Amino acid sequence: MVLNISVHGVRVQFDLTSCISLLPESVPRRSSRGRIALESPATQEDKEKMSSSKAKMREKKMKNQPSSVQYSPSTTQNGGGAVVSGGGQLMERPKTPHQSAGWSRGHQRDGGSYAKEMPKCITAGAFARARAAEVSSMLKAVRKTTGSCHVFGALPKHMRRRAMSHNTKRLPRRLRDVAERMREKSLQAGSKKKEQAKNKSRKARRRHGNLLLEFNRRQRKNVWLETHIWHAKRFFMVKKWGYCLADKPTSKCYRPCYRALSSHCLLQDLSYYCCIELQGEENNLLASLSQLTSKETGPTFAAALSLSGQKQGSVVMYRAGCYPLQPLGPVTFLWRPQSQGSTLRQLWIWAHPTMKKDLLTELQTVCQCDEAVAPPIVPIEQKLPVTPEDKQIAGTKRKQTVKDISGPPAKKLLGDGTRSPTTPVSWKSNCTGTIINDLTMEMVRFRLIGPQSHTVLAETLEVATKYGESDKLKPSSLWWPEHCKEESKMVLHQEQADAYHLLKGILSAGELPPGTVLGLTVEDPRLTLPTKKLKALPSVQKAQEVDEEKSRELMLKGVPKHCCQSSLWDRSVRDNVTENRISEKELNHLRGELLVPGSRLSPAPPQSSVPVLLVHQPGKQLGHEMSSWGAGWDLLLPKGWGMAFWIPLVYRGVRTGGLNMSLKHSQNKGVPHFPHDYPDCTSGALFQDEQEAELLEKFRRRPPAKRTNYIKHGCLAPFRCPWQQLAEEWELILIEEGKKKDSQTTRGADEVIKEETTSLRDMTAAKPVSCVSVLRCRKSLRLLSGWCRPTTSKGQRLCRVEKVPQLDHPAMTSFLTAHGMSLVWVRLLMPSKGKPELHAIVCAPTAEDLQLLDKGPGSSGPQEPLHRDHFKSRRKGSTKTATSSLPSEKSEGQMSHLLTASEEPKPSSKASSGFTAGLWPDPLPSVTSHCSRVTLGWVTQGDFSLSVGCGEALGFVSVTGLLQTLSNQEMKHRGILLLRNPTSLHYRFVKVTIEV
Amino acid sequence: MTESRNPGISSISQTAQAHPESCSPAVEMDPVEYTLRKRLPRKLPKRRNDVYVNMKTDFRAQLARCQKLLEGGGHREICVHGLGLAINRAINIALQLQASSQGVLQLAANTSTVELVDDLEPEDPDEAAEPMTRTRNNSAIHIKVFYPDPQ
Repeated sequence: MVLNISVHGVRVQFDLTSCISLLPESVPRRSSRGRIALESPATQEDKEKMSSSKAKMREKKMKNQPSSVQYSPSTTQNGGGAVVSGGGQLMERPKTPHQSAGWSRGHQRDGGSYAKEMPKCITAGAFARARAAEVSSMLKAVRKTTGSCHVFGALPKHMRRRAMSHNTKRLPRRLRDVAERMREKSLQAGSKKKEQAKNKSRKARRRHGNLLLEFNRRQRKNVWLETHIWHAKRFFMVKKWGYCLADKPTSKCYRPCYRALSSHCLLQDLSYYCCIELQGEENNLLASLSQLTSKETGPTFAAALSLSGQKQGSVVMYRAGCYPLQPLGPVTFLWRPQSQGSTLRQLWIWAHPTMKKDLLTELQTVCQCDEAVAPPIVPIEQKLPVTPEDKQIAGTKRKQTVKDISGPPAKKLLGDGTRSPTTPVSWKSNCTGTIINDLTMEMVRFRLIGPQSHTVLAETLEVATKYGESDKLKPSSLWWPEHCKEESKMVLHQEQADAYHLLKGILSAGELPPGTVLGLTVEDPRLTLPTKKLKALPSVQKAQEVDEEKSRELMLKGVPKHCCQSSLWDRSVRDNVTENRISEKELNHLRGELLVPGSRLSPAPPQSSVPVLLVHQPGKQLGHEMSSWGAGWDLLLPKGWGMAFWIPLVYRGVRTGGLNMSLKHSQNKGVPHFPHDYPDCTSGALFQDEQEAELLEKFRRRPPAKRTNYIKHGCLAPFRCPWQQLAEEWELILIEEGKKKDSQTTRGADEVIKEETTSLRDMTAAKPVSCVSVLRCRKSLRLLSGWCRPTTSKGQRLCRVEKVPQLDHPAMTSFLTAHGMSLVWVRLLMPSKGKPELHAIVCAPTAEDLQLLDKGPGSSGPQEPLHRDHFKSRRKGSTKTATSSLPSEKSEGQMSHLLTASEEPKPSSKASSGFTAGLWPDPLPSVTSHCSRVTLGWVTQGDFSLSVGCGEALGFVSVTGLLQTLSNQEMKHRGILLLRNPTSLHYRFVKVTIEV
Repeated sequence: MTESRNPGISSISQTAQAHPESCSPAVEMDPVEYTLRKRLPRKLPKRRNDVYVNMKTDFRAQLARCQKLLEGGGHREICVHGLGLAINRAINIALQLQASSQGVLQLAANTSTVELVDDLEPEDPDEAAEPMTRTRNNSAIHIKVFYPDPQ
């Protein structure tokens, strides 16, 4: 018996006889083949088995599918039974809950019931109708696309191609029309958005005025330095501290840059350093500034040589009266040499931009400069002549309206152009008459580092020629002709020129008195620009030309006092020079008019004289070796002249470096770098937070299986250094030690210690939360340095040192009462293998470790046993809690047991929400006793040092911890510590030195 | 590093400074201390065949460098310079060169005196003392190592 039914135009042929004959098996078989099984309603059990993600996938897939085949035969009333029973023949069947509604197909758990209750006969009509319903739903399912609504969703996967999305001709013809329509639709939607983005043609955008406007807009948030565009083409730029700064070159030149530092010259743009100018009576200034500094840390603002203006000084500043707590940061300063008959002095303080704000407020309070002087009306004047230009440039109406509201002038911004014109930049005191000026971005500062920086400068800068005698009488708006009229100034100029000439005879920057200052008026270096980039090299002839006796005097006594004077100190001169700079275009025009192409422009135009200041930077001054490494010159220029000097300097074959290189420079010098290595300053703390966030983000970007498990490595804080906790813990250790000693001996001397320890405890209790400080007192450092037994870098040879008081108990206790909570900056050298990394752990070696050292110089250090990651089980437990509560409780119990066994504080379960695998969650357990060796501190800069030839690390250790370790060590091994990288279990021996 | 005019008193001061609050008068009575900073010796332009010997670099490396200059570098003569402590090493290098060449190389030594400059920075709390510079002399040796002319 064959039944033909036409459903939706598809002919379905049923061979009823075969159906009937196969009926007992047919039901399960259909489902097993899965051909006709359209949708088996997932039973409750199935859903339980299915994981949640699978269910989601399925739901998505079935979104557009008919949910189930519904066939409700009107003729019969007994639902599912109708299929087999048909007609009025009712058969009593036990109804399973699954079969209660509609139809149920597929393999059933209690499928055996079919066989038992096989119908004796079926009604053809009802059966066919049921099949027809099935078929129609099947067809519906096939026609509808799954998942995305895109056209090629209709295609089977193996026929889809990537290029179909933009080229409809790659689609089968039957789908093309639909695809075409959809494309048009999406294009329409897209064009609405794009209309706003598309405004001007590239040509219009690149037009000079418009380009400048665009540049000014981009500088609104982060100011550009004058050399920005030059740098942006060659360096990776970073947005930091409100500036766009060059980080490191895109070319691979780490070693060439190091070589430049140590044997030729490296050039850096340091214009982002902020200059603050103080003007007032010398006594007033010194009195107020002395509140911010301490003489214990070295020479301050009042040091004789700096005060005369002959030397640039550097000092660490603190909040008023807070020494040794709350430092602001290191600054360099320069006094203007005293001019005759004037008691007013001028002082420039150069500070890092992160500390500028704090420094300014602090200076305002100590100088009582609370009255903000209204800025001059210059900005408005500037605007007026510019606006007509703007209107010419501005073609479209829209742009004009924008400009009328608050359009920046289409003029290159010089200095800090982003500052609103109403922000005060100077403050005045009513009682003392002191004036504070904020000269940020008012000057350009270039730094040349390296022994040949001297030669480079000597080649680039030429002393300005005197202005012609004949034109002397004419009044001039320019600064230089006016300057030339005064005889005394010309004498000074001549003397400065002579001093500069003498300097040319010296061949290396390290031979000069450190911090020498020389004021100079030089010719525009663009006039003497060489046609080819050539490496500046010292020449013997120049050295021999110079008078030997005079140059010797210069070496010994430095530049005479009056030669340090420069017109750069005068604001009016600076502004005049900046305004009258010859533009590149004009200069080229002048050059083009020369009779002999390529010859020098002479006479030089009067605008081309620039007052500059040369400031010598001493190189490495700490320690016993590599002294004067990295010495060089700083070049101070009026603003606007940056590029005019930069290119000629670059043409002398110098290397250029960015922020990365300044870090390496200070690392090789062994000095802390601001703000990286000032954990007690606010900006230093801020930097550490930023660094932690950055490193953590980098860590989380890695796939979890590839991340280092820092818990297993016993590294509590791989991304930051909990200095505060370290200092506090060492304080506690000290107190406990004191207690032990008390119980052991009952001598009178120990009572003192007891008293001290109790007083210490009181101190710790009374101290505010952030009281970690860095030891900067020179005398204490010197004492500590002596106790560390300074040797040369590789530990071969003991250096000659004066007699140091014995490191005995009373000396130690008295030292610790003064500086117990402090950290101290140390330099660690790895005599054997190993390259220290950031945040490596500095530990104290045990007696057994030091025996290892005796075996031979090549013996490597001890190993840290692998730690257990207790949080791993917790992570598993937390996933289990979602499904069932019972096992998680069990694991929790295990966890707490483990934790109490290892005496670690148990972090609350809520804390694990922000938990990253492989990192200790807050709060950290005891940092000192976490590893098998006692932690003393961490490394903040570590690398293979190219200047020493071994791994070199710089960091801080706790003073208490260091002294305890040193006092327990034999004389032979004094100053040997252990260092372990966060990603390693291997301890390496290091030699600790404190350089003063 | 620290030099003092009166070593006896200064050492007292160093022990005393550990109790800064207790014995401030002792600090004030202290004579002016100076920190000694050595400046680099005068640098002269260097030819390719000049070898400045120092104590930091490995001896063998310096010897190899000289040998390379003489053999591979094509120089008929080189100059080995040593200052102060490095005089010994400079002589050693020159003699080694001669020995390894089986007597072909000849030596001509010159001695000289180099003037060195030290900076003395005052360490006093009042900051009234003037910083000083002083000069001292040190010996130097310049050894010419050369192949003699065939004539």
